[in-house]
Amino acid sequence: MREPVGTRRGFLRQLVFGQLPFVENPGARTLVCIFLRGGADTLNMLVPVGDGDYYRNRPTLAIAAPSKGTKKDADAAIRIDDFYGLHPKMSPLEAVYKEGRLGFVQAVGSDNTSGSHFEAQDQIEHGESYRKNIGGGWLGRHLRSRIGGSDSPLAGVAIGPTLPESLRGAPAASALHSLDELQLPVSSGDPKAVSRALSKLYEAEVGIIGKQGKETLDLLRRVEQLRGKAYQPLAGAEYPADDFGAGLREIARITKANLGLEVACIDLGGWDTHFLQGIPLGGQAELISRLSRGLAAFDADLKGHRDRVTTVVMTEFGRRLYENGSTGTDHGRGFALMAMGGRIHGGKVHGEWPGLKEEPSLPGPGGMEVKIDYRSVLAEILSGAVGNARVAEVFPGFEPKKVGIVGA
Amino acid sequence: MKTSRRHILATSAAAGTLAALGGCEKLVSKASAKLGQTVPDSVKVPDGVEIDPAHHLLNRAGFGPWPGDVEHVRAVGETQWIDQQLDPNPIRDELCEMRAGRCQSQNELAGECFEFSKEFLRRDMARYALLRAVYSKRQLFEAMVGFWTDHLNINIEKGTCIYLKPADDRLVVRKHALGKFRDLIRASATSPAMLIYLDGNENARGKETDVPNENYGRELLELHTLGVDGGYTQHDVYEAARALTGWRVRTGFRKGSVYFDEKRHDDRAKTVLGKVIPAGGKEKDIEELVDIACRHPSTATHIATKLVRRFVSEDTPKSLIQKTAEVFRTSDGDIKQTVRAVLTSDEFKNSRGAKFKPPFRFVVSALRAVGADTHAHDPLIEYLTRMGQGVFQYPTPDGYPDKTSPWLGTLLWRWNFAFALSTGGVPSVETPLAKLLGAVGATGDAPEVKLFEHFTGHAPTDAQRAALVESIGEKPNGLETSKGLVSLILASPSFQRF
Repeated sequence: MREPVGTRRGFLRQLVFGQLPFVENPGARTLVCIFLRGGADTLNMLVPVGDGDYYRNRPTLAIAAPSKGTKKDADAAIRIDDFYGLHPKMSPLEAVYKEGRLGFVQAVGSDNTSGSHFEAQDQIEHGESYRKNIGGGWLGRHLRSRIGGSDSPLAGVAIGPTLPESLRGAPAASALHSLDELQLPVSSGDPKAVSRALSKLYEAEVGIIGKQGKETLDLLRRVEQLRGKAYQPLAGAEYPADDFGAGLREIARITKANLGLEVACIDLGGWDTHFLQGIPLGGQAELISRLSRGLAAFDADLKGHRDRVTTVVMTEFGRRLYENGSTGTDHGRGFALMAMGGRIHGGKVHGEWPGLKEEPSLPGPGGMEVKIDYRSVLAEILSGAVGNARVAEVFPGFEPKKVGIVGA
Repeated sequence: MKTSRRHILATSAAAGTLAALGGCEKLVSKASAKLGQTVPDSVKVPDGVEIDPAHHLLNRAGFGPWPGDVEHVRAVGETQWIDQQLDPNPIRDELCEMRAGRCQSQNELAGECFEFSKEFLRRDMARYALLRAVYSKRQLFEAMVGFWTDHLNINIEKGTCIYLKPADDRLVVRKHALGKFRDLIRASATSPAMLIYLDGNENARGKETDVPNENYGRELLELHTLGVDGGYTQHDVYEAARALTGWRVRTGFRKGSVYFDEKRHDDRAKTVLGKVIPAGGKEKDIEELVDIACRHPSTATHIATKLVRRFVSEDTPKSLIQKTAEVFRTSDGDIKQTVRAVLTSDEFKNSRGAKFKPPFRFVVSALRAVGADTHAHDPLIEYLTRMGQGVFQYPTPDGYPDKTSPWLGTLLWRWNFAFALSTGGVPSVETPLAKLLGAVGATGDAPEVKLFEHFTGHAPTDAQRAALVESIGEKPNGLETSKGLVSLILASPSFQRF
C-alpha cells in the first residue's frame, strides 16, 4: 500500500526512490526567499567573536564580544556558542535559533569573481555557474520541475512591483503588494464584461504578454473571495511596521489561505555599506533589526504551519574582511546564509570556518573564502524541506554536496 | 522605492495645494490648447495590417504619437524627421516650457535646492520629467534623457541626492544627452549627486591604510563605460578608485558645490587598463581616467549594445551592434551620430512592435495618444510608483531594466490606469475624448476600428475586433460606448507593445 502523502516515511521513500511523483496538494509546501540586496556584511551578523583577526581587521566596525558574566551588554554580540555571537539587533531571533528552527551556513557563495552586484545577483537568482547561462531563474525551474505543482498565478509570488530574475521562466508568477489591491477597474461598470473582453484580447496575443494577461485574469478570479476580509496574525506575531514586515505578513496570509502558494520572494535592500556601516547603531543595524523582527514575527505567525513553510535568507556576496577608509566595507565573496522553518536543522552554524586571512592568489575581490557553493544549500532545502524530487532539473550539471541544514 | 510610496501617499493628503495652483494652471492649459497643443480637428489614422512606419518611429524615437504626429512625420519624411530631432534646439518648444518651466527645482543651482522639502522635490522632479516626456516636441531628446538617466542612475532616496539631482539632470544628463559621450561621463564623475550616490565623496587616501572606496570606480568601469565583460580586472577597479580620490561635495558655505581636496588624493602613479597615470597628476587624474575608460574599445560595444537594446529590441542583433559601435569609435563617442546609425538601420525598421513598454512609457504614450491636458499632479505620479517605475526611484546604479520580464507583473495596474484615463478617473488629468472621436472618425459605424488604428498604428485582426465589438454589445454608438472601447484598447496587449 502506498504511504499516505505528507508523512515522514512517505517523504523518505520519495527521497530514496527519487522518481516518485510528488503528490501533495499544490502549495502544501512553501519556500520563502528573502534576498538581501547589496551584498550583506554577514560577518557583523553572525559574528566570529572567537577570532582575533576579526577585531584586528575591523578596528572601528567590529561588534564587541559578549561579556563573560551573566550581565547582558546591549551593544555586544549575543553568545550562541564558543565561537559565534549574533548582532545585538538579532535578539528577536535568539529564541527561534535556540529552539532549533533557525540555522546558519557559513562561507556560502558563488564562483562569481566580478565583484558586480548585478552579475552576482543574476547568477545566484539564475542558479548557474559564473558566465554559464542556463536560461531562466532557479525558482522558475523549481516550479516547472515540481510534479503536481500548479499553474496558479499564485504558485510564484513576488512581494513588490516587479518580478525577480529568480522567478524568470516560472509557469506562472505574480508581483503584488497585497491581495486586497488585486481587482479590475471599479470605474468600468460591468467587471464581468470587462474581464471577458480582456480575456479575448489577451487570448488573441501570442507569446508571454498574452500568457501573462490570461494569468492575471485568473488570479483575479482566485482572490475574489478573500478580498476585503481582514487578516489577523497569531498572537505574538508583531511584524515591523514597514514594507518588509507588511510583505511577510501578506505571505503568511496567502500561505494560510491555501491559494496554492509554492514560492514567495521578498527583498530587503540597502546592504551595500561602503560608507559609515555603523556599529551597533546606524545603517546596517537598522536593517538587521528590520530583518530580525520580520523573521521572528513570521515564525510566530506560522505556528502550526512551520513544517510546510521554509524560509531562506541570502545575499549576492559578503564583504571584505577589513573595513575601508570610510568606515564601511567593500564588496567581498563568501557570506553566511540563514534558513528557518520546522524542517530546518537549526540551532547550529553549519559549514567550516574559513578564517579571516584574505588569499591574494584567488581571483576576484578579497573577502571570506567561499567553501560551500550556494546551490548545495538550495538543493538540500528544495529536496529535503520543500519536497522537490527533481533537483537535478533545477541545477542542471551541478553536483550538490551535503550541507546538513535540513534534517537531523 | 520603499519609502517613496509612503511619502507619496502622505503628500497626496495635502491635496489642498492642487486647488491653490488650479487657477494658474487652467490659464496655461487654455493658452496651450489655443496655440496648438491639442487634438487637431482631423487625424488620418493608419489602417495597414502592419504597424505604420511613422507610428513606429514616433513610438521608439519618442514616447509615442500625439494625435496628428503620424501625418507630420509622413509629410516631412522619416529620415528628415530623425535629423530634425537630432538637432533639438531649433525645434520650438515654448508650450512644453510653459508647463514644465513651472517646476521650481529645475531653475536652481545644486546648493539651492536644500531649501525645499524632500516631499516637494520628489514631486517636483517627477512632474518635470513626466511633463517634458508628454509635451516636448523634442521627443528624441527626451527619449535620450530617459536613456542616460537610466545609464547613470541616481536614486534620490540616498543621502542628500534628492537635493543634488535637479542639477545632475540639467548639467549632466540634459546638457550632454546628444553631445559627446566623454563629456557626459566627465560631467557625471564630479556631479555632486553622483559623488554622494556612489560614495565618491568618501573616497580618500586613508591615514593608516591605503584602502580607497571602490564604489564609484567600479560602476564607472562596469556600468558607465566598459561593461562588465569589458576586460577590466579587480586591480583596475582599485587603481581607478585611487585616481578618483579627493573629490568632495561642500557641506557648509557653498553647500552642494564640488571641490578637489588634495590632502585626500592619492597622488602616486596608477595603472588602469594597462595605461599609466603618472604620479603628481592631482585633479588631472580624473581627466586621464575618463579618457582611458571612454576610449576603451569595450566602451563602444557596451554603449552600442545598450542603445540597440533600447531602440530596437531586447534580442540585440549582433550585426547592428557592431555597426553602431564602429560609428561610436570613429566619431569619438559622438552620441548624435551613434543614435542616428541605430534609428536609420533596417534592423530598426524591422522591429515594429517587438518591445514591451515599461510603465513610464506606457503612461506617457497613453497620455499623448489621447491628447491629455495635465499638470502631472500626485494622482498621476502615483500610478508610476505603483507600477514600480517612480521617477529617480530605482535603488541600484544599473538603472531600470530595459527588458520585458520584470515588467510583466504590472498588467493589472496598466488596466486600471487605462480605464481611469478613458473615463476621466485620473484626478488632475483631462482627456478630450469627444474631440478625439471626431478627429479620428470614430463617430459613425465601426468606431472600434478607427480607435484601434489610432492607438496602435495598425488595423485590428478579426479576433481583436470581435473582442471589442462583443464588449459593446447592444449599446448604441456614442461617447459612453467609446470610452469603454478606448479603455480596452489602452489595456490591450497591442498597446503594451511598441
